[in-house]
Amino acid sequence: MRVTIISIPVRDQEKALQFYTNTLGFIKKKDAPIDGENRWITLVSKDAQDGIEILLEPAPLHFEPCKVFQDALVKAGIPYTQFEVDSVDSEYERLTNLGVEFSIKPSTFGTVKYAVFNDTCGNYIQIAETL
Amino acid sequence: MTFFESEIKRIKESNFSNEKQIETVIGIKNFIDNNYDTKLNLDFLSHTRYVSKYHLLRLFKKYYGLTPRQYLIDTRIEKSKLKLSDGMSVTETCYAVGFESVGSFSTLFKSRTGKTPSKYRKEQLSRSKLNS
Repeated sequence: MRVTIISIPVRDQEKALQFYTNTLGFIKKKDAPIDGENRWITLVSKDAQDGIEILLEPAPLHFEPCKVFQDALVKAGIPYTQFEVDSVDSEYERLTNLGVEFSIKPSTFGTVKYAVFNDTCGNYIQIAETL
Repeated sequence: MTFFESEIKRIKESNFSNEKQIETVIGIKNFIDNNYDTKLNLDFLSHTRYVSKYHLLRLFKKYYGLTPRQYLIDTRIEKSKLKLSDGMSVTETCYAVGFESVGSFSTLFKSRTGKTPSKYRKEQLSRSKLNS
């Protein structure tokens, strides 16, 4: 068995695709129609294009408990998942300039520097750098 | 303050508030990052930071979740991938990242990445040719 995908639940796949590529800088790898408006969309990091893929899944639109769980995480301020960056400070600056809203500005926790932003599709996402 | 923020604050205060310890362990990690290509061992690392080697081992494991030795090996494997992709030979790469035996480097590389260094190098080079 191998790890090849992590999935992120999103409220609007097209909007998520735009945000995760144009703003965050991921690259679209797969985009296939599934059923109705639903697509199988995966993304990869620019500098690891054969690496792990992110699946933008429309689960909250079709399965109520997923939406409830997503809302509860947001209300508690809990990030859905985390991406690694070389520099939290420079990503914070770059993303802030692009209009991304951060719920937690760059902070440290032990040997980790982190920050948390809103992905505009129903999740908080954490970026982290190992010090 | 959200639930997440208050929990982070609580855990930080109870378990991760020793600034001097954090500074020491980050210093050790930086030292490995900058000297992974040399002969490094726990005795040497503990001397650079004036802590006993058992204390150092415990600290490193507490903050990074793996031993300094495991971290050193991970770092060397990551660096060797970059060098192989740049076209450096397997033997040169092995020594350039601090390993001392090509045989054990190849075995270790394969167990970590699923392919031998020479196969990895060939794949990366043909890929970069395709892209150029």
